[in-house]
This record gives sequence, structure tokens and C-alpha cells, in this order.
Amino acid sequence: MKRNYTVEARAGVLIVLLTFLITSCSTQATTQYWGQIDPPQDNKMRYITGSEPESLDPSYVTGQPEARILIGLYDRLVEYHPKTMSPIPALATHWEANEKGDVYTFHLRENGKFSNGDPIKAQDFVWSFQRALSPELASRYGFLGYDIKYAEAYNAGKAFVKKDGKFVRVKGAEGTEPDQENATEEGDNEEQTADSETTAQAAPSNEEEGCTFTAPECVTVAGDEESRNEAAAEDEELKALIEGAEFVPVEAKHLGVEAPDDFTVRVTLKQSAPYFVGLLTHQFFAVVHRPTIEEHGKDWIKPENIVTSGSYKLKEWKPYDSMTIEKDPNNWDAANVKLDEITFYPMDEQPTMMNIYKAGRVDALYNHTVPAAWNEYIRQFKDEYLLHPEMSIEYYTFSVKKPPVDKVEVRRAFSLAIDREALEKFRKTVKKLGNFTPEGIFPDYEKVRTRVFQELLKKEGISEETWGKRYFDPQRACDLMKEAGYTVQPTDGGKCKVTDFPADQMTISYNTAESNKAVAEFVQAQWRQNLGITVQLKNMEWKTYLDYRSKVEYTGAARAGWVGDYMDPFTFLSQFYTQQNDSSTGWWKEEFDALLEKANNTADPEKRFELLAEAEFMMLQEQPIAPLATQGTSWMKKPYVKGMYPNPGTMHPWKFVYIEEDRNKWDANVDGIMTDYTDPAVEAQVEALTKTQTDFEASRKQNEESAKAGE
Amino acid sequence: MLKFILKRLLIIVPMALLVVTVTWVLIRVAPGNFYSTERSLPPAIEENIKKKYGLDQPWYIQYGTMMGNILRLDFGDSLKYQGQSVNEIIARHFPYSAILGLLAYLLALGIGLFAGIVAALKQNSAFDYGSMAAAMLGLSVPNFVLGPLLVLLFSLYLYWLPPARWGGPLYLIMPVVTLAAIYAAYIARLTRAGMLEVMRSDYIRTARAKGLKESKVLLKHALRGGIIPVVSFTGPALASLLAGTVVVEKVFAIPGLGNIFIQSVLNRDEPLILGIVAFLSILIMVANLIVDISYGFLDPRIRYE
Repeated sequence: MKRNYTVEARAGVLIVLLTFLITSCSTQATTQYWGQIDPPQDNKMRYITGSEPESLDPSYVTGQPEARILIGLYDRLVEYHPKTMSPIPALATHWEANEKGDVYTFHLRENGKFSNGDPIKAQDFVWSFQRALSPELASRYGFLGYDIKYAEAYNAGKAFVKKDGKFVRVKGAEGTEPDQENATEEGDNEEQTADSETTAQAAPSNEEEGCTFTAPECVTVAGDEESRNEAAAEDEELKALIEGAEFVPVEAKHLGVEAPDDFTVRVTLKQSAPYFVGLLTHQFFAVVHRPTIEEHGKDWIKPENIVTSGSYKLKEWKPYDSMTIEKDPNNWDAANVKLDEITFYPMDEQPTMMNIYKAGRVDALYNHTVPAAWNEYIRQFKDEYLLHPEMSIEYYTFSVKKPPVDKVEVRRAFSLAIDREALEKFRKTVKKLGNFTPEGIFPDYEKVRTRVFQELLKKEGISEETWGKRYFDPQRACDLMKEAGYTVQPTDGGKCKVTDFPADQMTISYNTAESNKAVAEFVQAQWRQNLGITVQLKNMEWKTYLDYRSKVEYTGAARAGWVGDYMDPFTFLSQFYTQQNDSSTGWWKEEFDALLEKANNTADPEKRFELLAEAEFMMLQEQPIAPLATQGTSWMKKPYVKGMYPNPGTMHPWKFVYIEEDRNKWDANVDGIMTDYTDPAVEAQVEALTKTQTDFEASRKQNEESAKAGE
Repeated sequence: MLKFILKRLLIIVPMALLVVTVTWVLIRVAPGNFYSTERSLPPAIEENIKKKYGLDQPWYIQYGTMMGNILRLDFGDSLKYQGQSVNEIIARHFPYSAILGLLAYLLALGIGLFAGIVAALKQNSAFDYGSMAAAMLGLSVPNFVLGPLLVLLFSLYLYWLPPARWGGPLYLIMPVVTLAAIYAAYIARLTRAGMLEVMRSDYIRTARAKGLKESKVLLKHALRGGIIPVVSFTGPALASLLAGTVVVEKVFAIPGLGNIFIQSVLNRDEPLILGIVAFLSILIMVANLIVDISYGFLDPRIRYE
């Protein structure tokens, strides 16, 4: 009998103990660090990067979890700067653009090697780019390379148009001879068709080069007959163009990428794109090993086959459990790679990650890993918790073609009726956002933008005070509702009640997630308080929601987030570029497109930013979206992990990361890690790498100056 | 008996195909697809993807291809995980779930049977009340609460056990206990009820009257009848334990089939979803068959024609 009681008693003790624990853990934060804090002794780091990687093919994957691993596994022409993410030399020691900004020449280092010891040459890059953009690979990131000449045409399986033995060229393309333009215009002329055979045989010599990327740009049309005819049915000009024409498919060889010699890569763009070098930091442009891929096909990424090109190579891959990469002695920069091994644990559950971190079984986490409910508590660990602005924004899109938000006044009113400062306090990890490009990420652009906006405001007759209040201005929101023709009853504190607003037609749609729900409820409450309008909320499973939003099936507002792909405001603004844009709003404006195009054809960075700012202003004035917040990084690392920074994309070039055993050198108060103090070891490493490019630029400048002086 | 088994085995095939077909329709009806992301794709890229994966074919051809593959027991490649075949993924991750499930099952069975039998024999004793109270607690505390509580105590407060992931035996303790708790509780209650009922039945009285030893009465006669409800519960329970339990695998970051299954649905990874569904439906049907057969051994009153 005695034993029976002890079972009961033990169960009781356990329950009491657990209850104690739950209540006590919220009050126990008295130590400097959170949980176990012993640096690993074997120079091997452990990191949680998010979901299970879908592949190790750099040109194919799209997720951030994969991207972080692939930074270690594959080298690109340029590497991310560990702090700013701007491009620094990697396999390219230095590079230059032509005056027009549409041809980039990269000079490769000669000691680049794949993990199997094969040398990395310019031809490898040419092949890697061609493969990345091939329709057969069907990479979802293909569009990242669309700035390269004929990349889009190749990726989309388009064809050149040949008439009378001559390629039809884009009108006004440089070097186009007038008689060729005539040929396109009179293309369907009976007479011309008749003697086309003879002209084909005696093609003029300049046609021999065909549609290479150095020749004037050729016209491309859909590659398969069916869609070509479909498009032609609605387009008279196209119909005339394709009638009686021959079609030459755009092939890999037409892409604007070439290797003039073993260590020079030349990329020809379809137009100037000043952000292009920054884009090349992306894993999509990594160099891959041709013989391996040709031999093994889709199995080339298997651990027994894979050949990589980065500072690390694959050691072990246990799907859904762990992936370990180890330092590659063949890498050109191996001497400066600090960690021997990095193990990545794929994981999705935030509390589980936090537990593992606290127990000291991983050394760092990826961004947004601290659960919202824990934030207040985790924040106290100032040496570990990293909250810095991120190249990522949160906003609500409006369905601009459907009432009731088809009127710009209504959209603006809804945007102004959200108290963004309160949102910032409520969300804890974000910063209020009044523009579309995130704040605190592109300092050079922001400087220009402030100036340009001031000028534009003057022009539009908007006072700076009104503009400054765009983060929250209930009074003006009410006025706008009145302007839109609704009946408005003023209530206390400049707020109002819009009595005849069709609230049943206005919903906030979002994909199911705790944080999205919290924000939607917050905004719902704001609109109820400030405008007296109670809108409905509608949540959906992620993939269902994506489909619903991108087809603009919603009415009212929908939650959206955007993460930049490269360090340039264009990665945000391009969302509204072209009629079939990504904005999920239905908004499009020709003038906006024109400004973006003009901006990208402007070589001078400052002038270019001015044009981009102008475009941003134009879009904001039409309010197809209500900006809400710039996201914060919100992750943790143990203080002994050094050379790892809360940069805007949470992309860590691993060769800078190391483990510091000496407690005195540990990172402290990481709020200032980006600005207040520097790590001499990392600074020196970055400087040594950047030197080739800065030296090159300096000597080029000197040459130019001496040439001028010589004149 | 043999005829019965054969008949049941033959039904499994069309049943599994039916389940797969229904699942396939459900996937097709659900909006979204495996390649959709925050960014809408340029139409040309979407075309490329559709062409690469045969999604540009009419639905009946796609359905036919899929069924043909399944009949050859080849579920094709995962759409999400490049170059990994569905068969390979199931074969790789099922063992994690199976080990975890089997251990939890044995633990639950051990604790549950012991507690249930003793409680029934010593009805209304302190042990009876105590263990049945504990069982109620086990039934009402969901495993997504129990798991984190255990982690809190043993990993983050005492630093005794690893908080998550798959490793040596130490890693298994908490997930197995978490998983077993609810089943142990259920089995204990079922065993107790079953045993109480049987102990009062005529044939036990007859056995005792014949002067059989109490241990023989218990083990040979009472237990066999008493655990029939437990068997009908634990058969399917074993199948679902082996198939992987989403919550526990998520909380402890275990690379089991349950974890993969949920991810495959979220990823709209059609071949993987279909493969796992087919695999699990067969597993469950076989488990049910085994339960039905074991009735015959346990209860002489049940005979199969």
C-alpha cells in the first residue's frame, strides 16, 4: 500500500514542480546570457537556417534557408560584404562597366578551383549562366538574369524573326540600318516575299553575325506557333511581322555572356542596370561544375556526386536532420576561411529552435526566430539579441479596380487611419514605414529621396507637415472620406464615423499566421476607432492565399510582405513595373514605368536615385498600397560567434565567421554591432579582398586623368 | 481463415487506389501549387515549370500517368525536393517514426496493462484511484502541452536531456514519454474495464470453482478476454503511432514521416502526398487486419468463415 501512495505523491510533486517552472521562467532573467554559453571547442559551428533545403542547386533554389547554405558552398563572381551586403570581390578580382553601363567585364582570379580541384575558368561562368537561364532548368528565379541580353527570350523559349533572309531588328536599335527598318514595315509585301529566296541566298555580309548580342537588337516573338498566332490575333503589327517569316529559336549561345579569354567574363545587358554587380552576389549566379552536372543529371546534387565551388564543401546531408559543410582546402581563399565545419539544422518550430539555442546546442539562429510572445523577455539579453532593420517590408495592398477602394481618396483615408507608431510599439520588432522602400537600408538613396520628396511636395502644394503626418492622420482621413462622397460624422479627437460606407465590401485578407492575425486585428480596430468602419477579416492557408491575392480576387485590402533580392531600391519598386506587375493590386501606370526605365539608363548614381525617388513618390501618391512597417531582423547569436552581422538580408558569408574562445573579446551590446564598434579581424579580411577592386578603380581613374591631361 | 485473410488482402489494393484518387482530386481542387511563392512568376517561367513536370497535359493524362506509376509502385520524384524520389523519402523517414512509435507503443502497453490489471484486481484501492486519476490526467493533457513541459523541466532547467533532434537514446526519452502518455492512459482504463467485466463472468467463476490456481485463472482465462477491447484499440493505434505523429515530431524536431507529411501538404508536393497517403492507408488496413485476426486467437467465441 505504501508504494501506491508514492506513485501518487511523485505525480503530484512533478505537477507542482512543472507549475513552478512555468511561473518562474518569466522572472529568472538575471544572468547576463540566456542559457548555456560554452563556445564549441572544435571550431565547428552549429546554425539553424530554417526549413529543409529543397535542393543544393544554386540556380534552382529560391528560399532563404537554402541561400544561406549555398553562400558557403558556391562562390560567385562577387561576395556579400558581411555587414552591408554590397558586392566585394570573390572569383572576380575586379570589374568594370562600359560608359553606357550595359557591358560589364569581370576579371577572374587564376587560382579559382572547384572542390574536386578543377580550375574555375571564365567558360565555367558562361556555362553556369546559360544553364541557370535555360528553360529546361525551369528556375523560378530565372527573371533575376533578365537584365542580360536575350536572357528573357531564351528563358521563355522565344524565337528571332527572319524575313527575306534577314533578321528583323528592333526599330531604333543602335546600328540599325534604315533599309532594314523598311524591310520590317513592308514585310508582308507580295513582291518581297516572292524574291525572298534569292535574298536569303545572297544575305548581306553584316547579316552573317545574325542576332549575336553585339549586333543591334533583334525582335523576338513567342517560340511555339500556337501562342504566336494567338498573340497575333489581337495585334495587327505582330500579325504583319510574323506573316511569311522564318523563325530561329533563341539559344544559349545568343545570351549576352561570353569568355573572351580563360579569365575574363563579359556580360552584355539589354539596357543599363546599375544594380547588376550587386545582383551577382545572389546564388542564382554561382559557378557550377559542368562535367558533374552533365554526367549525373538531376542526381548531381547527391552527396556522392556533388562538386561545389565555395569556401566550404558538402560533408554530410541527413535530410530533415542536419547538413554539415566543411572547409574546402581547394578554395582560392581557404587560408582565410576560419571555421572548420558548419552544421545546419533544418527546423520550422520557433519554440523548438529557441529551446535548442538556450540549451547551448546551436550557436546562432536565423531571422524572425524569436516568437512574438517571448520578445519582451529575450530583449533583455543585450549581448545576444539582434534587432536591426531588414530589407523587408510589410504592407497592405488595395484592390484598386474594385469598389470601395477604387477611389484614391478612400485608399489614402484608410492608409492615414492607421496609427503606425502604435503598431510599432505593439509589434515590437518592426519600425513604422511611410514609404515603400524600407527605411534604414539604403542610406544613399534615402538621402536623395528626402530631397526629391521635398521638391515634389512643393510642386504638388502639399505642406511638409501634412506629409510628415502620413504615419497617422485621422483628421485628414475623415476629410478624404468626405471628399470621396461619404457622409462623415465627426467624433472626438479629430476622428469620425463614416456612416454610409459599404463596410461589407471591405475585407482584410491575410494568410494564416499568428503575427498576420494580430496585425489585421490591430488595423481593423484602428479603422473602427478612427473612421467608424468595421471591416471583416479573412484568413487563408498560405498557398491558397497566394493564388487568391495574385489574381486580385480580394476586395479591400490584403496583407503583403516583400523581401529584396539585392541591395538596391529597384528590387522594391520593380514590383509595380510593367502592366503584369507583381503588386497584386491591379495598379499600373505608364509614367511610372518610364521613370524606372529612365533611371536605369542613367549612369550617375545620384541622378538615378532621383528618378527612382520620383517614381516612388508617384506610386505613393496613388496609394495602391498602405505601407505598414520595415521588418526587423530579430534573431540571436551566442556572444562568442564573431564576424556574423545582422545585415539587411540575413545573408552570412561564412568565411568571415569565427568562434572566439577569449571571453574578453566577445560581442557585447549588439545593438551597436553595425555602427558603434568594429572587429579588426573582419575589417582587415574585407579590406584585403576589396583591395583588388579599389586599386583597379584608382588606377583607372588615374589613367583617365592622365589621358585628359595629355590632351 | 486463410480465405478470410486473402479476401481482406485483396480488398486493400482497390481501397488504397480509391484513397489515392480522392486525395489526388483534393490536391487538384485546392488552390495554389508547389511553385507558388510570395512573388508571382513571369508567365514564361510558369510555362517552363509546367512543361518540365508534365502539368501542361490534360488532367486525364496526368491522372493516368500517376495511376500507372503507382501500380508499378513508383511514385516518381518529389516536386519540392529536387532529385529525391518519393520511395526514397518514405524509406528514409519511416524508420524514425517507426522506432519512436514502436517504443512509445511498448511503453504505453507496459504501463497501461500493468496499471489496468492491478487496478482491476485491487478495485477501489488507493492504487486503483491513484492510477486512474493519473490516467485521466494523461488523457486530458494534450501532447503539445506535455512535450514542452518536459523540455522545460529536463532540458532548460536541469539541462539533463537534449531539448530536441534525433540522436542517441537520451534524445528519445522525452518524445517517447510524451507520445506514450495518452495511449498508456487509454490502455489502462480499457484494461481495467475489460478485466472487471471478465472477472465477474461465469466462465471465470467456473474456472475458480474447478480449483484452478489464481494465476492461471488470471493469465490464461481472464486476461485473454479482458484485453479484447485493448486489442481493438491498440491495433489502429499502433498503425497511427508508426505512421508518425505530427505534433511530437514537430516539437522535438524529429525527421519522421508525420513531419514530412505535413510539410508535403503545405508544399503542395503532389507525388509525395500521394505516396505517403498510399503508404499510410495500406499500413492502417494491414494493422486492422492483424487486429481482426488476433480476435480469433484471443476469444474462442469469434470464428472466421
